[in-house]
Amino acid sequence: MSVVRLAGAGFTYAGAAEPSLRDLTLDVRSGELVALAGPAGAGTTTLLLVAGGYAPRVIAGTLTGERVITARRPAIVFAAPWTQLTGLCQTVRAEVAFGPASHGRPREAVLAATERAMRQAQVDHLGGRDPATLSGGELQRVIVASALALEPDLLVLDDPAAELDPAATDALYTLLREVAAAGAAVFVATPDVERIVKVATRALLLGRGRIVKDGVPAEVLA
Amino acid sequence: MIGYVPGVSPLHRAHPYTPLATAGALLLAAFAVTTPATIGVIAVLAVALALLGGVLERVARPAFVIAVPTWTLLLVLHALLGPEPFGVLAGLRVSEPGLTRALVLGGRLTAILVAFLTVLAVVSPARLVEAMTARGVSFAWMYLLVSTLTLVPRLRERAARILEAQQCRGLTLGGSPLARVAALGPLVLPLVLGALVEVDEQVLALDARGVTSGQRRTALDPPADHTMERVWRVVLAVAVVGLFAARFAGAGL
Repeated sequence: MSVVRLAGAGFTYAGAAEPSLRDLTLDVRSGELVALAGPAGAGTTTLLLVAGGYAPRVIAGTLTGERVITARRPAIVFAAPWTQLTGLCQTVRAEVAFGPASHGRPREAVLAATERAMRQAQVDHLGGRDPATLSGGELQRVIVASALALEPDLLVLDDPAAELDPAATDALYTLLREVAAAGAAVFVATPDVERIVKVATRALLLGRGRIVKDGVPAEVLA
Repeated sequence: MIGYVPGVSPLHRAHPYTPLATAGALLLAAFAVTTPATIGVIAVLAVALALLGGVLERVARPAFVIAVPTWTLLLVLHALLGPEPFGVLAGLRVSEPGLTRALVLGGRLTAILVAFLTVLAVVSPARLVEAMTARGVSFAWMYLLVSTLTLVPRLRERAARILEAQQCRGLTLGGSPLARVAALGPLVLPLVLGALVEVDEQVLALDARGVTSGQRRTALDPPADHTMERVWRVVLAVAVVGLFAARFAGAGL
């Protein structure tokens, strides 16, 4: 099932003279793990924001062309985990539960989703800790757990391993493959092509806001 | 230190609305009364609140830092430069109505300051969120209130990180007062710009966590609100209304 479909789509940030994305045509289906790569300024972050439905709804700008998102529970993860804390929770468990609780899900369902997500992201031992006291790597895994607690059918991640050591990075990518295999569409933008190529089912190489290559990860990211 | 201090005092354990309502009542009472003696009583009650919360020591320092310059200014403006009649106090020629005015304004400020610093120290932002969630308060109001309560500690933390980074790059904090003022530049600019960038990402993160979903948030661990506390808050409301009624009836409080 198609989760995100773009046809001739472009995006220009508010106040920018030039578009950051141009003429993108793309169809991503549930179960796909799409690796995004490209040099700085290629438009990978913008594509994540557009594909996740956050731009221009939250991030001001102009979207051109056609975009259809059928996902009902999108989630996003950025590289800098400390900017993604709600600032309203004093424990990791409360932080992870924040998303499903905001969606008004029943208490028991929220707690179950929270525990499951913390186990998946391997932060269940940190449940009682204050997020402000965690290391960057621990915090990044908490943010991933917070996204997973939403039980997303579309998950977009922008350099999610920036704070992680190699072992934690491998664990995260393996987890993302499982999330995709369970039916979600997953986009990952990362400069770490050596690792992502092992788990991605598809890769997009971007350059100057356009898709340069789209296909099998080992070929696109070679 | 301004901000929440974990503890087990009666105020820490109370429903978050109770210390908030008590501080709010003290604020209103400080405006309802107009004599130095009654303002003094309100200030003493505010100090008692801090004592009850076990945070008097933590509250005293920031209260002192803010109150002393204000008291000094008030005493100079009103007591020394105020209208006639004059009296002599500690060898100084002092305006009697000016002194009264300074005592009222200073006492009011001190009472409000101590009461609200106490609230900041004893009300856990997380418990307040849960309490407001349980009452169905909209996320926007909740975020506004809790962000305000946590603003100072968050800015302090960020400022400390920036200062450490700038010191690693060679910034010297000591020296003459002029040098210290000059050192503010490398702190203030990253502090403000960093906060603006962070706001953008946090808005996105909060949106992604469903705060704009339009659903009523689920309270996961709402604090207990005992009958005695609800009664206490009603008593506070009645007392404040009574004080204002007495004032407007000319009771001379």
